[in-house]
Amino acid sequence: MTTTAERGPVRQGRRRALGLITGLGALGLAIPWPRRPSQARPVQRLPSLREADYYRPHELAG
Amino acid sequence: MSAVTCELCPRGCVIPEGGAGDCRIRVNLGGRLRATTYGRPSAVHIDPMEKKPLYHFLPGTPVFSIATAGCNLHCLNCQNWQLSQRGGEEMEQVYRLDPPELIRAAKAEGCRSIAYTYSDPVVFYEYVYDSAELARQEGLANCFVTAAYINQHPLRQLCRLLDAANADLKAFDDGFYRQVNGATLKPVLDALVTMREEGVWLEVTNLVIPTLNDDPAVIRRLARWVRAELGAQTPLHFSRFQPQYRMRNLPPTPVETLDRARREAQDAGLEHVYVGNVLGHAGNSTYCPRDGTLLIGRVGFMITDYALTADGRCPSCNERVPGVWRSADLSGDRR
Repeated sequence: MTTTAERGPVRQGRRRALGLITGLGALGLAIPWPRRPSQARPVQRLPSLREADYYRPHELAG
Repeated sequence: MSAVTCELCPRGCVIPEGGAGDCRIRVNLGGRLRATTYGRPSAVHIDPMEKKPLYHFLPGTPVFSIATAGCNLHCLNCQNWQLSQRGGEEMEQVYRLDPPELIRAAKAEGCRSIAYTYSDPVVFYEYVYDSAELARQEGLANCFVTAAYINQHPLRQLCRLLDAANADLKAFDDGFYRQVNGATLKPVLDALVTMREEGVWLEVTNLVIPTLNDDPAVIRRLARWVRAELGAQTPLHFSRFQPQYRMRNLPPTPVETLDRARREAQDAGLEHVYVGNVLGHAGNSTYCPRDGTLLIGRVGFMITDYALTADGRCPSCNERVPGVWRSADLSGDRR
């Protein structure tokens, strides 16, 4: 059940967040995330040949 | 004729030579099973921890988040189907980030943790394991965001290296798992209990889909199971469904349905029940379970208020709120 105690501060928080977003927008700043790390660069497709850890030879029944 | 049986997840795929498992990325080459996306993620982002969602784990910090192609579930409503329902060779972008480079990149970006996420990290297990081991050595935390469809032995081995997990519990209904996800319920429940037993900080997410898993009786059973098996202090997130992939015929979840689910879970005795994917909802925030004080206010992924004390207590009544609030709270070899 949402209580009055929950609603009050959250409304304040929402107002504060909207103010922050508006403020950042006014300054021409982007919201900080999600973002892509600068080090990661796409490469050619290079399938890895790392052997898997959990498997066994399949045995036929009978 | 050198078929192999994959023992990583409950599917137990029998894979003929040259073939791939149901996940598309574990391939039998010459009688040896290969993890073809090892060190080759197709999604690399820096996200807020709140996006995972992990609300009681290093709040407000950036987490270096990766995924490779492939998945061992086939959810009709998958929100990352372009990644999860493809093999590595079908991806438009592939990055080369072997574990050492991954750790270096995460540290260079100022992240204190790595999340294995987006598709299902179970299928790129070896990449997760080796990266998590290195991350631990370098003082980074490991977060696992998963549907938890994994066998017990590999899970227990991995849990030694995990600090936090958000696990989907898609419905407390085996029929739903079979129909919507192409999986089964029991192994998921067992995996959640194992993560809890192994000391991984665990939060649970239930995506509420209109008409399919929104029955109050099913929600009540789910919440009671979480309380009984994982504990009353386990955070439970009810997320709003948005129509996508092969489930565009259903509407977004009404907010009233999420409110009702939250009340059911609170009535079942859970102390921290959240509503997700609804911007500005009161259920985005954390409250003291004893006196109702707002402890962490959130709007979307942003933190708007933070009132917890440094040691994770309510400033009004001193109630200890469970979670990992600072890196220093990571215990023993999890630090």
